[in-house]
Amino acid sequence: MIFKFANPLKFQKLAKKLQPITISLSLLLLFPGLFYSFFASPPDYLQGETVRIMYVHVPCAWFSLMIYSIIAICSFLSIIFKHALADIISRSCAPIGACFTLATLVTGSIWGKPTWGTWWVWDARLTSELVLLIIYLGLIILSNSYEDKKKGDRYVSILALIGIVNLPIIKWSVDWWNTLHQPASISKFSSPSIDASMLTPLFFMTFSFFFFFISILLVRIRGEIIQRKIDVIKFNQIR
Amino acid sequence: MITDFLKLLEREINLSIKNHSVLFSFSVFFVISLLIFVFAFGPNLDDIPNLYTPVVWVVLLFSIMLISDNFIHNDYLDGSLKELQFLGYNEELILSCKSIVMWGIIILPTLFLIPICSLFLNFKLLDLPNLLINILLASPSLILIALVSSLFSIQLKRNRILQFVIIFPFFVPIIIFSTSINNSQNNSFLILIGIFLVTLPVSLTAGRLIMKEINK
Repeated sequence: MIFKFANPLKFQKLAKKLQPITISLSLLLLFPGLFYSFFASPPDYLQGETVRIMYVHVPCAWFSLMIYSIIAICSFLSIIFKHALADIISRSCAPIGACFTLATLVTGSIWGKPTWGTWWVWDARLTSELVLLIIYLGLIILSNSYEDKKKGDRYVSILALIGIVNLPIIKWSVDWWNTLHQPASISKFSSPSIDASMLTPLFFMTFSFFFFFISILLVRIRGEIIQRKIDVIKFNQIR
Repeated sequence: MITDFLKLLEREINLSIKNHSVLFSFSVFFVISLLIFVFAFGPNLDDIPNLYTPVVWVVLLFSIMLISDNFIHNDYLDGSLKELQFLGYNEELILSCKSIVMWGIIILPTLFLIPICSLFLNFKLLDLPNLLINILLASPSLILIALVSSLFSIQLKRNRILQFVIIFPFFVPIIIFSTSINNSQNNSFLILIGIFLVTLPVSLTAGRLIMKEINK
């Protein structure tokens, strides 16, 4: 499966077919998600209405980590197997991941002001998320700094693999250190865990964001493949 | 393997002895940068001791970043980096020899300079051993990361500042744990050693991959 669509042209055909499906799934899930988050879910007994920021904040935070994992896996495939599409995917993922991370930080700040009384604290979770944003920015800048795109991609792969050390730090920062940010409470096995009435909108929003991410990614990948084709044509014309 | 290592080490030491002005300019840079911070904060001796540790770390970080360029970029420009690889020397060995010599050039003078500067800046002498152990433990990781960062930006003709941007996030945990030793968290020493044990294989492997990529 991974190698079947390694050919960018084959993948482009698949992406063209998939894109309307993912965008419509995203919209389809967004409306019930918004309805549940604004009307059908109860306010928190301590935080009141501000808890509704969670339905944007938590999916964004998950995706900021998930997208970095995708970049790391693609970098691994690119270094080991020289997978042609892996470089394109990791290059296309980086700006989307940076946006999700920024959205996490911004929504977290907006949520933090009424609940913690401050826009920002330098606790482990927030700091490690900020570091993730800087790593994303570094990846974007590095990939655009080289005139030879292939060289830039190789360097990005190496940097992305080094940066993976930050992921476990973000994930378990709330357990390792005594942070103001709460530990994870989504899993039903942990205690305290989230109530089902709040889990439903979170579920809808997460899947809506997921399909939104996939559709944006497909657009970016298609754009990148076309850009590379143009580069090859220009290069041949000059020769 | 060991003879290769010794040969490379000898080469780096010889180069550094011939290029001894780096050592002198580093010492002057270190002292002057500390002074600039003092001038910027004003000469109030009550505030300065609190600033001393962070300022030392910032100055050390920048000097490591600047000097790492000397070790990598010059070798790249005169072709010796390529030549060493062509002669069959292991990339990890090249990088580790460079880091050992760089450690000698930067950290040994720093260990002399810091106590002297601390007298001027009214720093508590009781805190001094902590700071020095701290630097001893954290500096190998800092140097390895800095060398990898200069390898990353070696082929960039413009935008050399990128070197600082891409590698900054990896300095963050080291700086956090090395400055928290003053808050009597003794397990930070162990964390710093742990960070070094992670940094060593990761940076050497990354260095090897980049060096192979450079010569393609």
